[in-house]
Amino acid sequence: MNLHITGIIISREYLNRVKKKSFLVTTFLVPVLFAAICVLPSVIMFAAKEEAKKVAVIDGSGIVMHTLEDNETVSFVNGSEYEPDYLKANMSDLGYDAVLLISPLDSSSQSVNADIYSAKPMGIETDEIISNRINKAVEAYRIESYGIADLERIMAEVKSDIKLHSYTLGEDGEEKISESGVYMIVSMVLGMIIYMFIAIFGGMVMSSVIEEKTSRVVEVLVSSVKATELMFGKIIGIALVAITQFLLWIVLTLAIVGVVGAVAGQNLFGDSDPAEMVQQMGISADQAETVAAVAEPGEMSVVMSTLGNLPIGEILVCFLIFFVFGYTLYASMYAAIGSAVENEGDTQQLQMPITVPLLLGFFIALYAFKAPDSAIAFWGSMIPFTSPIVMLARLPFEVPVWQIIVSVVALIATTAVFAWLSAKIYKVGILMFGKKSTWKDLWKWLKQN
Amino acid sequence: MAIIGIKDVSKSFGQKVALDHINLEIPEGGIFGLLGPNGAGKTTLIRIINRITIPNGGEVFFNGRPITQRDVEKIGYMPEERGLYRKMKVGEQAMYLAQLKGMSARDAQKELKNWFTRFEIQSWWDKKVEELSKGMAQKIQFITTVVHKPTLMILDEPFSGFDPVNAELIRQEILRLKDEGATIILSTHNMESVEELCDNIALIDRSRLVITGGVTEIRRKYGNNNVELVYTDSDGRHTEVLPKETDGTDTLRMYLDKGVQINSYKELMPRMNDIFIKLVKGEE
Repeated sequence: MNLHITGIIISREYLNRVKKKSFLVTTFLVPVLFAAICVLPSVIMFAAKEEAKKVAVIDGSGIVMHTLEDNETVSFVNGSEYEPDYLKANMSDLGYDAVLLISPLDSSSQSVNADIYSAKPMGIETDEIISNRINKAVEAYRIESYGIADLERIMAEVKSDIKLHSYTLGEDGEEKISESGVYMIVSMVLGMIIYMFIAIFGGMVMSSVIEEKTSRVVEVLVSSVKATELMFGKIIGIALVAITQFLLWIVLTLAIVGVVGAVAGQNLFGDSDPAEMVQQMGISADQAETVAAVAEPGEMSVVMSTLGNLPIGEILVCFLIFFVFGYTLYASMYAAIGSAVENEGDTQQLQMPITVPLLLGFFIALYAFKAPDSAIAFWGSMIPFTSPIVMLARLPFEVPVWQIIVSVVALIATTAVFAWLSAKIYKVGILMFGKKSTWKDLWKWLKQN
Repeated sequence: MAIIGIKDVSKSFGQKVALDHINLEIPEGGIFGLLGPNGAGKTTLIRIINRITIPNGGEVFFNGRPITQRDVEKIGYMPEERGLYRKMKVGEQAMYLAQLKGMSARDAQKELKNWFTRFEIQSWWDKKVEELSKGMAQKIQFITTVVHKPTLMILDEPFSGFDPVNAELIRQEILRLKDEGATIILSTHNMESVEELCDNIALIDRSRLVITGGVTEIRRKYGNNNVELVYTDSDGRHTEVLPKETDGTDTLRMYLDKGVQINSYKELMPRMNDIFIKLVKGEE
């Protein structure tokens, strides 16, 4: 490979993209968006609060009504002066949103039936609050029926509220405060970022190959340089764009956090409830509790110390290595596919075999935190097509060094083989005009040289 | 001496044979026409000379020695399927292509400015290619083909896409480059331009070389040995086709004795077009 010529190609691919307005816009906007995402959930939660729903209650059992406390979302009014049917028929005229009917106590099962009627659905949250309250009332009634004296005081004394403090042990026996919620988030973010980088910048390589083919500039280019120089010059140039963007994002995000932190008196998360944030992000309730626990006001320090405990150096180095080779693996395959078509629309079918392992890696990575050492996470982080993504997601949970080495070696070997195969396809493909190619054609081209 | 020597070159794509043991010499200097119907293997041969495609067998010589990757810096290639980056500025793009041919940035800038001045298109330097008309883009394409002063130029259908005015401009430039000593390989379907421009030709049909040689010799060889006589008498102007004799003096004297006025007497050369069709049809 002629390094001087390849250098010229790299610099064109790089400068042409970095000078584009869209590059500047995404580079500066994403950190702002990222910061906004941190703050937005609390804003949305605040804006989404409704007026409390008014519920008329007819308590046939006599044990529930007095335990129903009003809160921000729902308030209860005793409606026993009305007939149930009258209440249901005149609900809105009387100013109620719903009617809650509680049956008389069934003496054999010591239970009640509860039905709620409303014009509009009540919403999961309200339903849950009401059913919780009723259950508590019934439970209290049942406990009371045992006739234990001084029960309330006993219960208060019995009630326990122990928090689990996790520590990880370093090899030197050093105890470090840690919090699995933080690991989970770091793991997901890492998996997501590397997936996005590979997919976006790999796709960019493909579009660029297609552009050269459609504009017919490609034959002029390969009469000056070797097709492999053109392909790898492009892949390297775009990789440098990705790395530039990544580094700028880190710097800018740190700058924004620094500035906002200084202005807001380091109270960045002060008025947002982390539990709500997590719910907004669509994480299930049990995971949310961990996060909520981690991020309770006053426990920010635990989060910070957990973050501090992460092998940040190792993560950054691994990110770069896995990105560079994972990206090269996918980008060269994308280049081969781009060489076979003359417009982006035709890539759908050819792209499938590439998209599937990439997405698979992404989904394994998203769940890697649940069982970072499970068989699927382990193999996902070893097999080269998913390893860049899954290994990154496993990293916060301390992966043995030998596994990282095996994974990197396997990835590099596979990347070398696939880059070589892709280059063979690419060489032939870029000069094929006016025909829609299939995988069969690509196979034929591969055997041609 | 031949600038390009093609020795027993073959190329096949899977089952399909594109070139079948081609032997060909392209003399240095002058314009060499590469002719043949669509799909005959012209483009494959051109790509092999450019080292875009590697042959299955045989060898290509450049100035008498086996061609290397460095030699492509001395070749300027304008493919039939040609184009430029649409979103790139004209000047930047021309600089890029020139540098890929091994020019330094300074030389490239200087030479390009000269060409832009010659074609009176200095104002296009900062325009994007997509803002140019097709004819304008073709001019840029031509400049990028010749800016690095190649000793060999390969032009595949150079006149397609040009309007008559620009086609004439390119024709003049080709002749000027020839006068400066460059060798030009012209692949074309346009037989008129072959007769007018080419010194030598090669005809390729169905992967094989059919004929190669000087244009005049070939036309003479495939001539019917006829002469055309145009004369004027009291009835007006007449044209007659007569069998060619070694010495036409007797024939001419006979006509002159009739008291007619001779307008012209010349050997009838077949059109390249007719030879082309005859050879290609004859092969079938």
